Amino acid sequence: MTANILDGIVLGLQFGLLATGLTLVYGLGGVLNLGYGQIAVTAAMTVALAMEAGIPVLPAVGIGLLAGGLFGLFLDQTILRPVYRLRGEARVLLSLLLTLGVSFIVDGFLNWLYPLKALSLHMRGGAVEILGVLMRRGSLVASAITLVTFAGLYIFFRYTSLGLAVRSVIEDEEGARLIGIDPKKMLRLILILSGVLAALVAVTRSMVAPVDTKSGLSITVFALIVTVVGGLGNVGGALLAGIILGIVNVIAAKLIGSYISLIILLGAAAVTILIRPAGLLGVKE
Amino acid sequence: MSHQPTNGAGTSLIGGTEAHTSRSIPRLLIPIIAAGAALALIPLWLGDSRVLMGVAVLGLAFVCYAIGFNVIFGSTGQLFLCVGALAGVGGFGATILADNVGLPIGVSILVATLAATLTGGLLSFIAVKRSLGVIFTGIVTLIFTLSFDALLLGLSNLTGGDSGRLIASGADTFLRARDRIPPYYLMLALVILFLLVHGLLRRSHIGWAFRALRDDEVAAELAGVDVARYRVYGALIGAAMLGLAGSTYVLTEGRISPTTFGFGRVDVVVLVMLAFGGIGTLFGPIVGAVTFTIIDEILIDFGQLRHVAYGILIIVLFLWMPRGMIPTLDAVWRRVRRLVGVRK
Repeated sequence: MTANILDGIVLGLQFGLLATGLTLVYGLGGVLNLGYGQIAVTAAMTVALAMEAGIPVLPAVGIGLLAGGLFGLFLDQTILRPVYRLRGEARVLLSLLLTLGVSFIVDGFLNWLYPLKALSLHMRGGAVEILGVLMRRGSLVASAITLVTFAGLYIFFRYTSLGLAVRSVIEDEEGARLIGIDPKKMLRLILILSGVLAALVAVTRSMVAPVDTKSGLSITVFALIVTVVGGLGNVGGALLAGIILGIVNVIAAKLIGSYISLIILLGAAAVTILIRPAGLLGVKE
Repeated sequence: MSHQPTNGAGTSLIGGTEAHTSRSIPRLLIPIIAAGAALALIPLWLGDSRVLMGVAVLGLAFVCYAIGFNVIFGSTGQLFLCVGALAGVGGFGATILADNVGLPIGVSILVATLAATLTGGLLSFIAVKRSLGVIFTGIVTLIFTLSFDALLLGLSNLTGGDSGRLIASGADTFLRARDRIPPYYLMLALVILFLLVHGLLRRSHIGWAFRALRDDEVAAELAGVDVARYRVYGALIGAAMLGLAGSTYVLTEGRISPTTFGFGRVDVVVLVMLAFGGIGTLFGPIVGAVTFTIIDEILIDFGQLRHVAYGILIIVLFLWMPRGMIPTLDAVWRRVRRLVGVRK
């Protein structure tokens, strides 16, 4: 049982990190970025190309994160401009359709250019024993990176004035504008951050399984489900939802078998959405 | 924020041009007959090529899917991201009933269509009962699509798993005619049937309720429209169309696989087709699906780069023509007529 729960937590941390970048942009700007998985794939390809060019792993990962951030900035400066002019559900719908277009362009281009390329960052060394359970080294490093990232986000949103400014826009865009915070600047910042987080997803994922040019859609879809279960715009909720769904998935896989476990995972997500549409940690409006 | 009732701004992408729906029967029938006649002539032109006829049959299947999705999303504002899955319930249902259970083809299609109808109705009922907004309905139906895909791969002894299976039933009937001309007319009959149903629906009290709830849900509720009931009606009718089209199409194809009804293969494409033609309009699905099928055939040699073209098309479409071809052309035509009228 301990083994299952630990495996579930490792998977859950992955799910949680997956959702963070998406949930921040949605919470802040009401923008649903369906190109999120493609940012991750673009970053993965950047890292893979950089490593092929002989750049060591760490700087290559740095270049990948930079590429993710630039992608976010690019979206903010180009196709999201007209989206910001709309409000409410119309904004969500237009952002969803335009970023779907972006995801097509990126997918088509990368699949054409690098149909067989994949990023996998193997960790040297054998399994590590934790609480009497053997864990893969790659999973542990990925989990550690995720935990550090969440700690960093927590500190940023809790203790820095910039983080507080971002939160005030999430709470109330008009109110934030009245006290002199420019929501557009905060949005740009969060889109860059979301791009970097998407790149980080690609990097940590590639420590466990290869990330190829066709992974974009599945990354986006899982990020979306975890985001909604956790509560839109809620980073803590994304982490909690990720861990719960991770544990559900691993235990269901152990007890029943692979394909039904995916259905159980999806069913759990659907039931949560139906019972608590505001998400696990969400507050009912 | 996203599970609020749709307000005026929220519906700006979804049609809004139906205010002048004509009540007269000839004005409804003549365009449908004209469209049907134009499509009926296609085999005279492509009939020599089995490959192109196959493309045309698939194109008509997509017209059917787009009409079904239009009834659900365009008429009642429910973003069903399970178009492929509902058509797949029809397709796989009919295959299993005909081949494994041994029912006659007609009965199989009927039962499978009923299953798709009830599934669509159930999804809508859940969404309506929980008052899910556009986005949440989209996510719950997307989860249904993913579960359906997982189920198809899991039950590989029935579905053939990843690679799919051949369908034995109907192998020596007109459904599998090698020149693909009888299947073409069968699918065309479905298109005309669906257009008639949708057209008559728009003229009936149901269509009146659809317009009311789509334009302003709260106002419709206050005026005594049972919004929940009409949403479920819309989903039932649309899902029936999807199930019937899906089951008929695979029986003419003779093979079926999860990708036949995959999310990227059906849902995304249908959304683009409908957005191109005009969401909520009667003929938008035909204009969108036919145009898209032709573009797809022209670009077929470009392989993966086709997706780049579609991505650009989607972005351009929603930035400059968010209401689609038919409403845009309609607006231009009205302006031209007014200009001409002024000059006289």
